Amino acid sequence: MNIALMLLAGFAILLLILLVGVLREPERHGKPENDLAFLEESGRSHATYLRQVQQAMAAEDFDFLAARGSRELSKRTRKERRKIVLAHLYCLRNDFLKLWRLARVISTMSPKVGVGQEFARLRLGLIFFLHYELIRIKFRFGFAPLPELGSLSEVVSRLAVRLETAMRELGERAAMPAKLASTLDGRRLDSR
Amino acid sequence: MGSMPLYLQSTWACSILGQLIVLVLLFLKGNLRRVPLFTAYTTLNICQAGFILLLYVIPRISSATFLTLSWASEFVTLVAQALATTEILRITLKPYPGIWGLGWRTLASTSVLVVIVVALTSRGHTAGERLFELNRGYHLTFATAVIVCLLLVRYYSIRVPTAYKMILGGFCLNSCVEVLIYTFIQAFFRKDFDLHQVRWEFLTTLSFVVALAIWVVAVRKPFPAEDRQIAWLSDSEYQRLSPEIDEQLRRVNEKLLRLWKLEARPN
Repeated sequence: MNIALMLLAGFAILLLILLVGVLREPERHGKPENDLAFLEESGRSHATYLRQVQQAMAAEDFDFLAARGSRELSKRTRKERRKIVLAHLYCLRNDFLKLWRLARVISTMSPKVGVGQEFARLRLGLIFFLHYELIRIKFRFGFAPLPELGSLSEVVSRLAVRLETAMRELGERAAMPAKLASTLDGRRLDSR
Repeated sequence: MGSMPLYLQSTWACSILGQLIVLVLLFLKGNLRRVPLFTAYTTLNICQAGFILLLYVIPRISSATFLTLSWASEFVTLVAQALATTEILRITLKPYPGIWGLGWRTLASTSVLVVIVVALTSRGHTAGERLFELNRGYHLTFATAVIVCLLLVRYYSIRVPTAYKMILGGFCLNSCVEVLIYTFIQAFFRKDFDLHQVRWEFLTTLSFVVALAIWVVAVRKPFPAEDRQIAWLSDSEYQRLSPEIDEQLRRVNEKLLRLWKLEARPN
């Protein structure tokens, strides 16, 4: 069996696997209009907890604990607080995801979408997830510096604020067709 | 017909029966109006089976003429298959004109790409082998394009009615299995390839019977009514909001990248 045939067979098997994956019901499937429910909670950005997280990893705390308490206590505290930072990072990812999804909802609601823009966003998302995983590993092993996490949080937070108006607008627009449909149904009922 | 082995005759009979059931169900459940091209495809398939049967019973037909005519009929059904699939994708994406625009561009570019790859990798020695490779190339292109389109639909969280999903799934399954069967036969029985045409025919008909079984389940109920939606945003709003989000997402990514590139230092 030569390489070209092996590649062809492999590609066909990959297509079959993709087909199964693509046809499987998503966990929380729904129409884009149902997805708009997430817009209501978009204001609650996890980036707002940054100060507490920064405090949780402040070097002074550990120095104090090491000086007044024991090394063991300092180590345990550091471990627990690192868990908190990881949870915060996970929440930041959720904020990013929410915004990424919003962008997709906007695309589904538009009569015309830019191919280049859509693919650029898909690429951005993929790069984000790759970086997120790498940074998560870095944090887990205790190598990542905290100030940078702070600026990252700020960006996510700013993004959430700037888009809040757009989200509200979208929410109102999503409600409009439903209202319109119910009005029309009402008229139909009246005419019977 | 007499030269056809019994197992192949039985599979063929099952396939014709399956197609008839699909067609009758399409008529009875009123799905004919919703998917006219899929109905036409099923009808054409039945006609093709009848045509090949006719070719088998004509006593003095040469093998070359038989092959030419049967491949010509296959070409017609393959075109109908592509049209039927486009019809279903069109129905699914009709309420989302922007995504449909993106979808058909993706479909076209993926198809062109796969056709180029297939053309570069095809090395058929005889006319018969070349025809088989052409057929495999078609199925590979078809399956790739449909799966890419389905990935796009999933990415945008667009709901595809189960019946349509099953029809698309049946088409793709059949195409992928055709590619696999032909590739394995070509790889392992290269020297006496012509002797294995019967096996190829049996296996491909069998995979088509499986696809038909899926379609029978899909068309047993009337298809859901189209829930038409209007585009809620104007083009200018997309042009305004989308780059803004992209810019912000890009900034988040830059921050993440900086975070990653920083010198590793222990806490």
